[in-house]
Amino acid sequence: MEKKAKKPTFEEALEELETIAQKLESGELTLDESIQYYEKGVALAKFCHQKLEEAERKIEILQKQPDGSIQKKSIKVKEDTGEIEDDEDVQGSLL
Amino acid sequence: MEDIEKHETVYSVSDITGIIKQLVASAPELNGVWIKGEISNLTYHSSGHIYFSLKDEGAVIQAAFFKYSNKNLDFRLEEGMSVVVFGGVTVFEKRGQYQFIVYKMRKEGLGELLQRIEKLKEKLYKEGLFDPRRKKPLPQLPRRIGIVTSPTGAAIRDIIKVAMRRFPNLEIVIAPAKVQGEGAAESIVAGIQELNKPVWGIDVIIAGRGGGSFEDLMAFNEEKVVRAFAASKLPIISAVGHQIDSPLSDLAADVAATTPSAAAELAVPVKDDIQNTIEQIIGKMTKRMMMVLQTFNNRIALALQYRAFQNPMSMLEQHELALSDIENRISLSIHKRLYDARESLNRIKDLHLLVKNRLQNYKHVFMMNASKVEHLSPVAVLKRGYSITLKGNTSVASVQGIRQGDEVKVIVYDGSMNCEVQSTSNEVNFGKKS
Repeated sequence: MEKKAKKPTFEEALEELETIAQKLESGELTLDESIQYYEKGVALAKFCHQKLEEAERKIEILQKQPDGSIQKKSIKVKEDTGEIEDDEDVQGSLL
Repeated sequence: MEDIEKHETVYSVSDITGIIKQLVASAPELNGVWIKGEISNLTYHSSGHIYFSLKDEGAVIQAAFFKYSNKNLDFRLEEGMSVVVFGGVTVFEKRGQYQFIVYKMRKEGLGELLQRIEKLKEKLYKEGLFDPRRKKPLPQLPRRIGIVTSPTGAAIRDIIKVAMRRFPNLEIVIAPAKVQGEGAAESIVAGIQELNKPVWGIDVIIAGRGGGSFEDLMAFNEEKVVRAFAASKLPIISAVGHQIDSPLSDLAADVAATTPSAAAELAVPVKDDIQNTIEQIIGKMTKRMMMVLQTFNNRIALALQYRAFQNPMSMLEQHELALSDIENRISLSIHKRLYDARESLNRIKDLHLLVKNRLQNYKHVFMMNASKVEHLSPVAVLKRGYSITLKGNTSVASVQGIRQGDEVKVIVYDGSMNCEVQSTSNEVNFGKKS
């Protein structure tokens, strides 16, 4: 298996994992190849798992600053309703 | 007057009215039509029905808007209001009157609005803005989603609620926008364009609003908004709450959803589902890997049997143990989190080495034993000049029982000789004549 220079995307990794699983399943591999594929599969699964955990729960709203630039501001929302907390003061438009 | 006298059949009022009613009911131009007029003599009846006259400069028609039809009406009728109504004419026999039964009503002006939208739709269609080939696929795993909508509406709440439930560690960036009334279109366009800037690191955009009247949703039919949807470099979902008439943004977006919640479901995968999928694949692979090792093991065992190695070889037994130890470790690892990476990876690396070494050892053992067997075999002895004597089918190890004149067969390395015994002796002499 050739090594890719670029880190694959999640989609690519998942797809490759599926392909590898199929190849392993086909039973046409030598012992050495089987072990290689298995190793690669484990690494890909780990990568996908990492990707799933990469983002961190966060809600932000873009707000126009007095100087005209746009900045993001973290806001809290009510867990059950998804409503923005009352004490958050947010603009209603970027214009 | 004779002609009149000939028609003697006399109809009742009901008969004639019945015929009128039937004629009216079966006339296509009187049913399922839109008519335009001004409201007068308006009565909101306590039953929930609405009665009024619809008039223009030249005529007037009585109209009834029954409760089951008017319950979704989102504005209040007023005297003098210009409206467009949809329905059909029916005859009210008891009063000898005909009435227009209204099923749907719009404020006048909507008709023209609809026409304008239709024209715009056609124009943009011709430009190829709605071409399915332009549509971008949504990312399977968005890390950060952008939302263009009002920060106070129902839409933002629904999207946040659904998205966070499906994927708890998700990042959401909201571009606040006015979604109806003056300046709404510009505000939505600004939001879409802003979220498209790489600096925000957005993977997919949801732009929309909750349901509302036809006019409330108008911003999503504005040309600049529709164009902004089509021009979005990032995959974009149109999320305008509606039941029947899709806004044009639905056509220009990569994906259209009928509600903001549905849009969130389209944009955000269920994290648990993805994890299960990966776990299943790895589980399957591990099972397969064990099978491969087992097959390999069986083949070696078989090969040993075939070679008929008689001696229990302690060395081989040790390797057997090593192999089952590896297998045990692998099957244990299934129960653990298999893909929990580094560990498994190292384990498999060890395994790889062990299996390789084991193969080498087997080869070595095979070689050693193969030569041992060769030493034990009679062929090697014969090669060194010894011979075997057979009488009948029995080998002759002693002179006892051998008589002069017996026929014997002497086997040497490369053939055999049939001989007759001349004499026997109890003396053993090598290299001397007896």
